[in-house]
Amino acid sequence: MKILIADDSRVMRQIVTRTLRQAGFGDHDLVEAADGQEALDKTIAESPDLVISDWNMPEMTGVEVLRKLRAAGNDVKFGFVTSECTPEMMQAAEAAGSAFFIVKPFTADRFDEVFSPILG
Amino acid sequence: MSVEVLVSADDLTEMVDQVWLSYLDPEGIDPLVATGDEKQPTEVHAMVSITGSWHGHLVYASSTAAARKAAAGFLAMTVDEVGEEDVTDVLGELANIVGGNVKAMLPDGCFLSLPTVIMAPESASHHPSAHRISGLYGQWAGEPVSISMWQSVKPEAGK
Repeated sequence: MKILIADDSRVMRQIVTRTLRQAGFGDHDLVEAADGQEALDKTIAESPDLVISDWNMPEMTGVEVLRKLRAAGNDVKFGFVTSECTPEMMQAAEAAGSAFFIVKPFTADRFDEVFSPILG
Repeated sequence: MSVEVLVSADDLTEMVDQVWLSYLDPEGIDPLVATGDEKQPTEVHAMVSITGSWHGHLVYASSTAAARKAAAGFLAMTVDEVGEEDVTDVLGELANIVGGNVKAMLPDGCFLSLPTVIMAPESASHHPSAHRISGLYGQWAGEPVSISMWQSVKPEAGK
């Protein structure tokens, strides 16, 4: 499967990659995006099976990316890994069609719990 | 003047403990130890601003050695391999993670800025019309690390 990791922080993209590996998902193809616009463009161009996105990014927020994808009829599995977690954000994410919401800092156990049902 | 402390030093400690356990000290043998020394010198710092229903800043500050050690931990490198960009990126991420967790404790309707990193002591940055409402001051392997919250004074209160 192909996974797109969208985060403006290079450090956090690296940590997400490492945590995916620690959680046993290291064999999947990984693609990275460094801002919201790149996340949207690469999701359309690369057709990943899963998008793991930050919330607060330059150019476009993660939830705006998700809304644009859904408005265009794209139903890729999409969810958030973010340091920000308020009830209003979680509601906005769910309403936009998000499949999961992981709060930073996170552990490999949390990734396993969330991604096992998605990635098998 | 009484100030409602929405996020206490204990809250900050809890958040920082999670960051340490997740990324910097997974085995729980090298924690950030609180000292309460507000005057400890720092050499680098990063901050995120919060606006909306609450206005202020979250500042993460440390020595250069502690910043390099944090970068090594986050990026799974040795300290010798760490470059300046690694340090700035990790400092920004530390401020972002703690700032995001802080935001969750504030009233609805807050916005978090992208982080700003300053490779200079915390004293190099001034926060006009803001005052510190809480802070965690400690040492990590003998190096100073602090996380502090600054609340902007409401405009009407300054008149």
